[in-house]
Amino acid sequence: MSAPERASAVRVADLRRVYGPIAAVDGVSLEVWPGEMLSVLGPSGCGKTTLLRLIAGLEAPDAGTVEIGGRRVAGGGAAVPPERRRAGMVFQDFALFPHLSVRDNIAYGLRGDPDRVVRVRELLELIDLVDAAARMPHHLSGGMQQRVALARALAPRPDVVLLDEPFSNLDAALRTQLRGDVRDILRASATAAIFVTHDQDEALTLGDRMAVMVRGRVEQCAPPEVVYGEPATPFVATFVGISNLLHAERRGNVAVTRFGPVRLVGPRADRADGRSLAVIRPEHLDVAEVPDGPADAGAWRVLGRRFTGAEILYEVVAPDGERLWVEAGPAVRRLRVGDSVSLHLRDVETVAFSIGHPVAPSSAAGVASPSSTPGAVVPTPSARNAGRG
Amino acid sequence: MLGVGSFRRASGRLAPSSMRPSEAAARAPWPLLLGGLLVAGLALLPVGYLVVRAMGADAGALDLVLRPRTLVVAASTVALALLVGAGTIAVGVPLAWLTTRTDLPGRRLWAILVAVPLAIPSYVIGFAFLAALGPRGALQGLLEPLGVRQLPSIGGLFGTTLVLVLAAYPYVLLSTRAALLRTDPSTEEAARLLGDRRRTVFHRVTLPILVPAIAAGGLLAVLYALSDFGVVSLLQFDSFSRAIYVQYQASFDRSLAAILALMLVALTLGVTWAEARLRRRAGAYAGVGRNTRRPPAVVPLGRWRWPALAFCAAIVGLALGVPTGTIAWWLVRGAGQGATIEFAADGALNSLILGAGAAIGSVLLVIPIGLLVARYPSRVASLIERATFTGYALPGIVIALAVVFIATSTVPLLYQTVALLVIAYAVRFLPQTVGGVRSALVAYGPRLEEAGRTLGDGPIRAFLRLTVPFLRPALVAGGALVFLTTVKELPMALLLGPTGFDTLATQIWDAASEGFYARAAGPAAILLLLSAGSVALLLRAEEAPR
Repeated sequence: MSAPERASAVRVADLRRVYGPIAAVDGVSLEVWPGEMLSVLGPSGCGKTTLLRLIAGLEAPDAGTVEIGGRRVAGGGAAVPPERRRAGMVFQDFALFPHLSVRDNIAYGLRGDPDRVVRVRELLELIDLVDAAARMPHHLSGGMQQRVALARALAPRPDVVLLDEPFSNLDAALRTQLRGDVRDILRASATAAIFVTHDQDEALTLGDRMAVMVRGRVEQCAPPEVVYGEPATPFVATFVGISNLLHAERRGNVAVTRFGPVRLVGPRADRADGRSLAVIRPEHLDVAEVPDGPADAGAWRVLGRRFTGAEILYEVVAPDGERLWVEAGPAVRRLRVGDSVSLHLRDVETVAFSIGHPVAPSSAAGVASPSSTPGAVVPTPSARNAGRG
Repeated sequence: MLGVGSFRRASGRLAPSSMRPSEAAARAPWPLLLGGLLVAGLALLPVGYLVVRAMGADAGALDLVLRPRTLVVAASTVALALLVGAGTIAVGVPLAWLTTRTDLPGRRLWAILVAVPLAIPSYVIGFAFLAALGPRGALQGLLEPLGVRQLPSIGGLFGTTLVLVLAAYPYVLLSTRAALLRTDPSTEEAARLLGDRRRTVFHRVTLPILVPAIAAGGLLAVLYALSDFGVVSLLQFDSFSRAIYVQYQASFDRSLAAILALMLVALTLGVTWAEARLRRRAGAYAGVGRNTRRPPAVVPLGRWRWPALAFCAAIVGLALGVPTGTIAWWLVRGAGQGATIEFAADGALNSLILGAGAAIGSVLLVIPIGLLVARYPSRVASLIERATFTGYALPGIVIALAVVFIATSTVPLLYQTVALLVIAYAVRFLPQTVGGVRSALVAYGPRLEEAGRTLGDGPIRAFLRLTVPFLRPALVAGGALVFLTTVKELPMALLLGPTGFDTLATQIWDAASEGFYARAAGPAAILLLLSAGSVALLLRAEEAPR
């Protein structure tokens, strides 16, 4: 999708914004191509909203640069005010103008545009709200407000649309539907978009690429399937999807775990042989029931269960105390807490991190996981985190 | 005189969320319903009586309405009200913006200072201006040695408007400030991202969003001007309030007074209706978005800092400085005469009795109303609740007049008694207690009492042992508000008080209208101190619901 001769829609380099002792955005570099959707995923307080506001011009960076449509708008002496950045924004609470009708909200940014009427009509059709054009915002449902906010941002044909947690104010049923709507609308308008979210499903399904952010830094920026399949850091591994981090011995492209060897993929840089943590997803393990009998010394025991609708996740514990999350396919009878099971590693590829490689603190790693920290013991706090105030 | 309640009415309507539908439909026990109906009846009595009386008047009633003098009074009243509305907006909106959105030096202190005049009774400000600038006032006394014999009169439309604007601008200020604080800062950011510069955003987005709140505040000020008795009578401006009083004093045929009163009621109700509509619109605007609690960006004033400071200082100087200074000046001058303190003590004691009586009365009356509305919501209950607001929404002079009529024609024994005055106050100021009590009852629900019942308490005993303790803060706060409002009330005390029964308010009014400024200074000083106390209460109420 990235034709090298084309200018990027947004280019952010070494961006930094400090509030007192805290660096909300700490050296972020990103690039978004025209027509591309980039999702920024991170726990709350990771700086993702600040990143959007820096791009929009609602905040000024302490260091680094922002370019929109190939034009420098912040940093290096440039400080283009938000009204001249050609960046549209959809706010978390939509921020519709309460005194203006749907039509006038959409037309707001088209002052002086001779084709205003046509453009507003076009957008009303795009968001499928032609009949609601004359209604006032307080008479609209949350989902409608959302779509109006998007149309309003798209109306002046900005170089990029920034969406700040666009679905967090909607209830769950509406969210899934609007996710599709918003993606279709953005695709139809061929506008680049950056949207931040703390919901990994949103980030995985909506982004052409996704950037995982924590503590003001981007840990990985790649297509969703790469982020999931080849997480760059232990934090990414545990924050995106559920991961068991298993102690392993790395030998070249193979890591030997307690379940045997597993093939490794991804870049080899800075990943030395020796003691490592291998990322084992719940679906990497086969679960088989062990018939009740004299206690099998090697058997795992079911500790808890989490039903997600499509699948059942079980938390299991080994006699030595190691806990893992595993996924049971439809073939396995519903297990009960206390049942004995045996686990087998499937023929999969994964990644492993050398021990000593930075690992996010357990609090951050636990955010997306069903329990505190699944998987292996997490090594001591990393040098990277300790180095920051 | 209008009170704080007007601000709370809009926010007070809570849904009894803690109740299951089956309970919501429960029938109210008949003693409770009867009590509620009785209170509602008392509240509706004055207006009902005026209507009956005006309808019973002979066919000449319409002639009286159309008499040139009546029309002049009507025109003066409307002119005054409109000027006060415009003036309060011109003063209140900039003050609201300066004290919420800018880097005005000392912004927090200004925010408090500019709100204080809300609690000062208008006639105290009116008295202060008379005593400072009027004939035989302080300024003339100072200028006399220079050969100045007479200052231009401060009465008339201009002087009355000035004083009422100073007394009523806080209504616009508070209403606008609340809207400014509620406005989602993202709306302004969205406008900038859509291509508007900061100044353009102000008039395309910020201001239009504020318009309903500003207009509603302006209409409250208009209501204030329509209802005000103290200032127009002291400065001798013939608006309805003063005309009603003069008519009542002058003649034994009180039909004209009744008709004037009804005309004033009609005006008041129209404005009240418009105000409620605008307030709903302002509420709807506030309901759009606003989940982020990010404070709005602070606007740097730059070189406008000094003019802005001068503006705030001028308003505070006029609305607070002039009254305080004048009262202090006359206190010092009157100190030689010795009588001042004793004189004030007399009125203070009477005011205290009235205030305490009214507070206790309204606290007792509010319990059946609160229980009905919170525990047994129904159409009847909400009608009863609304009925209690009628007296509150009407000018004091109208209520006073109606109560005089009713007392003299039906229960002459009560006429000119302290008891009648206390009952009238308790019923009229009841709405100040309803909101808090209802919220408390809704919040606690009937569970505790039910637990008490299962443990052997009777219904009344369970209510007293288990619910009343939780109601106490609401009852105390409501009672305190009723106390303060009663102490400051003028026209009812003037018309209904027994002969020779002076309150702080009537003392100030009597002395000021006869030019004995030194005698009015003592009671005025006490009221000023009390006002400071009620501002503290008010600011707490403003902070609480958000």
